Amino acid sequence: MKEAVFTFFSLFTLLTAAGVILSRNIIYSAFNLVLCFFGLASLYLLWGATFLSMIQILIYAGAIVVLFVFVVMLLNFEKPTEQKTRFSIIVLSSAGVWTLALILLRVLSKSLGEIPSLETPAKASVRTISKLLFSQYLWPFEVLTVFLLALIVGIFVLARPEKEETP
Amino acid sequence: MILAEKLTSMAYWSHFVSIALFALGLLGFLTRRNALIVLMSLELMLNAVNLLLVQISMRTGTSEGIVLVVFVITVAAAEVAVGLGIILNLYRMKKTVDLGSFRNLSG
Repeated sequence: MKEAVFTFFSLFTLLTAAGVILSRNIIYSAFNLVLCFFGLASLYLLWGATFLSMIQILIYAGAIVVLFVFVVMLLNFEKPTEQKTRFSIIVLSSAGVWTLALILLRVLSKSLGEIPSLETPAKASVRTISKLLFSQYLWPFEVLTVFLLALIVGIFVLARPEKEETP
Repeated sequence: MILAEKLTSMAYWSHFVSIALFALGLLGFLTRRNALIVLMSLELMLNAVNLLLVQISMRTGTSEGIVLVVFVITVAAAEVAVGLGIILNLYRMKKTVDLGSFRNLSG
């Protein structure tokens, strides 16, 4: 039963990810991205990372994709302005990418297959994560908060509309 | 033993899923020319790495991978915000988001 659900959500995630990169209309890409993030959140849930699946839905599906859709609305395309990619580039890059994927699969299944799996799936509770975050990873956490503050200022400078009159 | 075998095979297939997701993201990154879809492909690649981190940390029973994924999600959100700001400015300059049309620096 668990395998069936796992297979379903894996296929769902992969198909919607293919939809993101294949669809011509960018709004379809954005909504495929939402579906892909929901599939990933269900995969996290199946692996037992409940907190992360919540975070995934809140931040990725809730905030990031909304940002994308908002920018698409702001840009206001009348017609698709994207030119076709040359066929040779598509063929070459897909060959390279799938070769890379095969190599990665081989390496990962070699090196990570020897990790002994637990009999009962582990539970990553919020308590464990927050204890780690505020003891062992306190310094990166604080750096991240300062980074977010700098980000807010940077975005404000970057996306500010140009002034019409210059003094 | 049968349970262990099943778990290892499931681990194998979950590796396959995250690598395939990464490959799809990389393919979109290399072949599409719309800047917004390139950013979405970047998100797909980051999510593939997140999925692999979650799987490994759940299989070994440690929580460090989860903490790392929280950091990755934060930085990814920041990256999208900066990227979209840059794309907005580029669109104001050129009235297009096709990556092939930004050739000011290529001489």
